[in-house]
Amino acid sequence: MADFIKHPVVELPERDPEPSVPADRLFFSEEEKARIATYVSRYPTADGAIMRALWLAQEKFGWLPPEVIRLTADTVGIPYSQAYGVATFYSQYYKRKMGTHVLDVCTCFSCQVCGGYDMLHHLEKKLGIRKGETTPDGRFTIQEVECLGACGSAPMMQVTNGPYVMNLTEEKLDTLVDALQEGRMPPFASVTLPQDQDEMGGNRRSDAPSQEIYQAPPVSQTIR
Amino acid sequence: MPTITIDGVAHEFEAKQALLQFCLDRGIEVPHFCYHPAMSVPANCRQCLVEVGMTEVDRETRQVKFGEDGKPIVRFLPKLQTSCSQEIADGMVVRTHRTSDLVARAQKDTLELLLINHPLDCPICDQAGHCPLQIQAYKYGPEGSRFEFEKTHKPKRIELGPRVMLDGERCINCTRCVRFTGEVSKSHQLTIIERGVRNYPMTPPGVVFDEPYSMNVIDICPVGALTSVDFRFKARVWEMSKTASITVSNAKGSNCWYWVKDNRVLKVTPRDNEQVNRYWLPDEDRLDYERFNDGRLSGPVVDGRPSSWDAAYAAAAEVLGSVEPASILFLGSAHASVEDNWLLSRLATHLGAPAPVYIPHVDPGHGDGWLRTDDRTPNARGCEALGILPIDADSVRKRLSSGAVKAVYVLEEDPIASGVFSADDLGSAPVIVHAWHTDNRTLAAAKVGLPAAMVVETIGTFVNEDGRAQRVRPAKAIKGVNRTLMMEVGKSRHDLHGTPFDRWYDETNLVDCQPGWVSLPAVAARCGLELSYRGPKDILAEIAGSNEAFRGVSYEAMGESGVRLQETAQTA
Repeated sequence: MADFIKHPVVELPERDPEPSVPADRLFFSEEEKARIATYVSRYPTADGAIMRALWLAQEKFGWLPPEVIRLTADTVGIPYSQAYGVATFYSQYYKRKMGTHVLDVCTCFSCQVCGGYDMLHHLEKKLGIRKGETTPDGRFTIQEVECLGACGSAPMMQVTNGPYVMNLTEEKLDTLVDALQEGRMPPFASVTLPQDQDEMGGNRRSDAPSQEIYQAPPVSQTIR
Repeated sequence: MPTITIDGVAHEFEAKQALLQFCLDRGIEVPHFCYHPAMSVPANCRQCLVEVGMTEVDRETRQVKFGEDGKPIVRFLPKLQTSCSQEIADGMVVRTHRTSDLVARAQKDTLELLLINHPLDCPICDQAGHCPLQIQAYKYGPEGSRFEFEKTHKPKRIELGPRVMLDGERCINCTRCVRFTGEVSKSHQLTIIERGVRNYPMTPPGVVFDEPYSMNVIDICPVGALTSVDFRFKARVWEMSKTASITVSNAKGSNCWYWVKDNRVLKVTPRDNEQVNRYWLPDEDRLDYERFNDGRLSGPVVDGRPSSWDAAYAAAAEVLGSVEPASILFLGSAHASVEDNWLLSRLATHLGAPAPVYIPHVDPGHGDGWLRTDDRTPNARGCEALGILPIDADSVRKRLSSGAVKAVYVLEEDPIASGVFSADDLGSAPVIVHAWHTDNRTLAAAKVGLPAAMVVETIGTFVNEDGRAQRVRPAKAIKGVNRTLMMEVGKSRHDLHGTPFDRWYDETNLVDCQPGWVSLPAVAARCGLELSYRGPKDILAEIAGSNEAFRGVSYEAMGESGVRLQETAQTA
């Protein structure tokens, strides 16, 4: 975003790109179709299901080239243009091919104050790429993102739209990258509000088991 | 009767409706961008904000409470409301920018926000002069900009489709165009992409904005973001005059404005008519204007050589007098007005020739049940109401080859190009043709060619597919003096800003032609038939008096929006 303020240029997306997903792979299985049908049934109109369906498509194809967005829109039963508008609205939908692991480093207000840029630059130096780029081996993409809503544990980052890694330090980043190289995802950590400590074991998510109950450390430990 | 108070003035109403539309219907101006009466209400431009309150009512007695000053107590909603999405209610009190500083301030701030990233390229923008953003910025906007940074640069000069050009920077994201493709034309070819300061309307990858109604988004765009590929940079709005008329490329008779500069039609835009086309116009109607300007036959032709009007009329009368009347084929035209076809019928009757017939131009599958029709002519219905029936081409060819047809009189048609007969079929039979264009193929084979005024130069009545009789008015002048036409031109040509660029006396690009209601009586007079009318208005009065189908039809009754022929005409 910082660059955008200096050079506020919006690029035109390619009007008619070559398809990236070969035609023989461009389909949803019966099971996936059934899941999308379930999403659709949850809403009064089909439009509501497009976000979840795009998510499913991104999990399946890795990213969302136009032909995948069109396929998803057709499966959900809404206009392609509308689905495309939704997909471009959210940065979590990848409109270009990303690395296996996408490292979203937050540099928004709280994280910036607590060293978000230091963390970003450390990652950039370690992986030898700039933000927005993907390593030549296709393993890592670094993105600079806006607030992910975990200011209490700044600086923080998110791995591939999944688990948060919080209270970042350079050592922690090194460990994380090594673990990801070996294919180990960081554990999901639940941020618990004091009033939720007793309920559900402090885990505020119902769809993932709590693996590490996060406790806010004293401030002195995170800010050096 | 329920009552709503707007700026201290009480208005009664019957049905509930949106506050903004209620104000607009009563001529109370409320600035707005995204609202359009034919589409859904997103309330996203935030320009139509007003203060809305309700008079306080005692719960027990249901009586309005009065304050110490003797006025009803009004409780205003804590925040400003968008009037486009606010439904009116009994006892509602509304303050617009006229009486509320808060509203005026909010609208000023909204404009400041909209203008942050809006390029100030009005001097080269096609929309300038009739741009809601420009007008409202002058009327309600801030005096200057406080924005010190570089404006966002979005894609410019993007051809969304073959007919519509996008300038992303000018867009204020009102979503009118997106809603048009989603709700009205249902092509779903546009969407808003990206978000925040980066967003603008776009086609998704692999989609071209080429639907047959695409150019409507140009009219509804409240800024110059969407412009016509065809019209870009041709003229400023204040250099043109506009004339209320109808389009003639199909049988729908959509209401339109013809925009004229230096006696050339440059642009066709829709004119609201709830009964016919509402706010819309198909692209085919908009792009079908060059034939009014170019390739026109100017000055009469006799035997392939330029001639004077008198000589041409005399030659035509001589042809008609030289053969036996029953062997003259009169061809009316579904392209010509009711009045001209009527005069042709009268001439044929006077001479004792068979009744005229017309050449249908039906293109099955072209129509879409909306504003495009299979019939590519504007007045087939009018011809039939006059008793002019479709031609039987086979029998005409037979009668030509057997010598039963010895002369042909053609009104604003091209039977050879239409394939009714060929130049060879004609043999030595002389042809008189009222022609528009020099490339009229019948003209090449004709003894007498009389240049005819087109729909943008004449006065007349056309009956559309649904039996609605509508007027056309002269948008551009023709060569020569015709007081009826000149008076009508003076009335029908609106100069949008009263500038002198395009007054009706502009003498460039004049075509030496005559409307049928001038040339047909001139020919008839030389055949011994006196057709003296003061103008087409009188002709229509005569038709209305003698033809049951047109009973009650007059220029006053048609007015701006036309009138339906009587039910008897529809069953006939």
